Amino acid sequence: MSRLKSVLAYTAAVLALLIALATFTGMDSFGRKLVSVTGIKVSPWMIGGEVVSVIEHEGYQTVIHRPVFDGLFSERKKGMLQIDWTPQQGLPARVDELIDFDRDGKDDFHIVLNPESNKAGLEAINPRVVSIEGCYTLKDGRAARLSLYHD
Amino acid sequence: MSVFSPRPEMPAPSTARGIVRAVLLTLPMLLLIAMMMTQGELPKDSLTRAVTAITYALLGAVFFLMVYKKETYKYRAALFTIVAVCFSIAFIANLVEMRGSMAVSRADMLAGETPFCHLVIPMVIIPAAFTRTIIFPGSLLEGFANIASMLILWLGASLALGRGWCSWVCFFGGFDEGFSRLRKKALIKKIAPVWTYLPWAVLLTLALISALTLSPFYCEWLCPFKAVTEFEQITSFKILLQTIIFASLFILLVVILPLLTRRRTQCGLFCPFAAFQSLANKINIFDLRIDTEKCKNCRLCVKDCPTFSLDENSVGRGKTLMSCTKCGKCVDICPQRAVTYHIKGTPVAVGSDTARILFLYPAFIFMSAIGGSMIVSALTRIFKLIATGSMIG
Amino acid sequence: MLQGFILGIASGTACLAYCAPVLVPVLLGEGKNIQRNYVILGQYLGGRLCGYLLFALLAWAVRFPLSGLQDRELVFGVVYVVLALFLVYYGLFNHRALCAGQIIEQRPIKRFSNRLPPMPLVFGFLSGVTLCPPFLLAFTEAADKVAVWQSLLVFFTFFLGTSLYFLPIPLVGAFNRFDALQKVGKLAAVVVAVYYLYAGLIKIAGGVIVS
Repeated sequence: MSRLKSVLAYTAAVLALLIALATFTGMDSFGRKLVSVTGIKVSPWMIGGEVVSVIEHEGYQTVIHRPVFDGLFSERKKGMLQIDWTPQQGLPARVDELIDFDRDGKDDFHIVLNPESNKAGLEAINPRVVSIEGCYTLKDGRAARLSLYHD
Repeated sequence: MSVFSPRPEMPAPSTARGIVRAVLLTLPMLLLIAMMMTQGELPKDSLTRAVTAITYALLGAVFFLMVYKKETYKYRAALFTIVAVCFSIAFIANLVEMRGSMAVSRADMLAGETPFCHLVIPMVIIPAAFTRTIIFPGSLLEGFANIASMLILWLGASLALGRGWCSWVCFFGGFDEGFSRLRKKALIKKIAPVWTYLPWAVLLTLALISALTLSPFYCEWLCPFKAVTEFEQITSFKILLQTIIFASLFILLVVILPLLTRRRTQCGLFCPFAAFQSLANKINIFDLRIDTEKCKNCRLCVKDCPTFSLDENSVGRGKTLMSCTKCGKCVDICPQRAVTYHIKGTPVAVGSDTARILFLYPAFIFMSAIGGSMIVSALTRIFKLIATGSMIG
Repeated sequence: MLQGFILGIASGTACLAYCAPVLVPVLLGEGKNIQRNYVILGQYLGGRLCGYLLFALLAWAVRFPLSGLQDRELVFGVVYVVLALFLVYYGLFNHRALCAGQIIEQRPIKRFSNRLPPMPLVFGFLSGVTLCPPFLLAFTEAADKVAVWQSLLVFFTFFLGTSLYFLPIPLVGAFNRFDALQKVGKLAAVVVAVYYLYAGLIKIAGGVIVS
């Protein structure tokens, strides 16, 4: 019995070497497999929710992300909405927009952005819209995050 | 016999036989390192080729010495420190080249381009289990240090080495290892054992807070290694405060305390990943054992263990604590040669080198595969600096 | 009555999220078995109920006194700081045999600890009066009530609804044979205290700046 245990133990020790080799040789394919099997994604709190609509303007576009209320167990009462304006080159000196983020046909807020100073002003129309969390520089454009209440 | 009597010699073969044995055991490793470093083709430019050759020689020499001298710790510690310093040089130079500074901007974060590192893994697991999202602004599959490849690396190393990760793979651990070896004697010798539970407390708290806030709290507030890699651009009072905190933690835990205690205080007294990684020792096949009959209870191993992984009770039981990083220091310094690498399920054979060699192979593969590319990259930058006056470009 | 309960059920996960960083270290720090952990949970929830009812009374008596943002920030900032101080006390001084506090324990601390109610009760109370979003909702709901008993009832039923989510937590007592977890729990209380201290000071500073 102890001999069998030793044989198994030494086999496992040699297996550690094979695992080390497999880790490096198969890193990319294992990584892809891991992502596809588990279905993991990067948290929308980090990079914004999925894009739900794009409004085309002359020279630039407004990208509206899904409002994010995701919590650990259930949705949160307070969430975040990200709006991007790209590309940087096409942005006017003053972006002035009425946005309907929930696509119910009614405008939800009025936002004015100065892309140069990266400062924005907000006028909430829908009571769910609370305030501007911050304005950020993107690789090729500007973004603003707004805090929202859940319905 | 006094505990300070001469250290019993290993039943070493004659020098010639020892060299032949070491060469034979090093040859497969040389082949594997060559495969890992070149991936089948030699670098095209002469500088990178020369630097790769130097790195290859260094790695081969370190492994040969470990095998020939039958000592692990001092060679590993030296290489481990070199890897950490080279990692930092290569990483920072790369960032400056790409972004123009060490500071990660909000644009990088929103684009999901922040390099992922293993220290955040314990914080992302609970949210990933419940929400199937990773609470880190990195890329899943694309680019340098993407999330999936780091997770695979961590899974592989955890299976193969357990918490051996912390002494063989972690590219940060070399910093406090290096500082802990700078002084000959410790100025602070006694540290209350209760503080060795602090990494678990930090882990528990951060795992809860990160899960509940769905943000990588450790990265944002505490990670001392942001000081030698990248940190968020200071655009608010909050970020300024975060910067002060991580810089202070780096100076205290990675520089000052290791210098004063000759221990790896960041790894042993604070790092939540280290605590988490201790669990991997439970599934790993390698451990360290103490022959209680040979042990004269001199407590040298307890006093010198870099990560506080031995205490009187554990020595009495003939085992290290769960937090053992398999660095090999206790094996090398024991005056009685009572400590040995061991494969679980086999009889404890003090004096036999088989278990150590079987552990060294996977451990060194991880170290050289991770560290090799970092050394090559850093040396290339250094040679560029010498030749052109700039590391960048 | 049902309204408060439903609100509690709907908000329970958020309440749990706010309370878990305090409750889990305390349960681990006490190092009791599952049954005894339910007693500790009872003390914690009892303290929380006291906090809720105190606010119900306030809500009814003075009609939402904390309506101004700066007042809220100041008051809850102070509560956070007090909570942090108690957590530090719990982690380092209030112990029976096992923790780091032994090194720094002094007599005045012992005298102080003899006069205190059980720590889980204190933490429950301080968590109960801390401003979490669901609590605010209940507060608004209670402030609308005309009679004091209605206001109290809303908070009580809200409390019952949220408490359901706490029931699995005492199961950590299954691991109470690991002595180390007790030390980890106590130290975790100190780490959590640092977080609350920071959050409290920021809230106080925010409140002072706004006012």
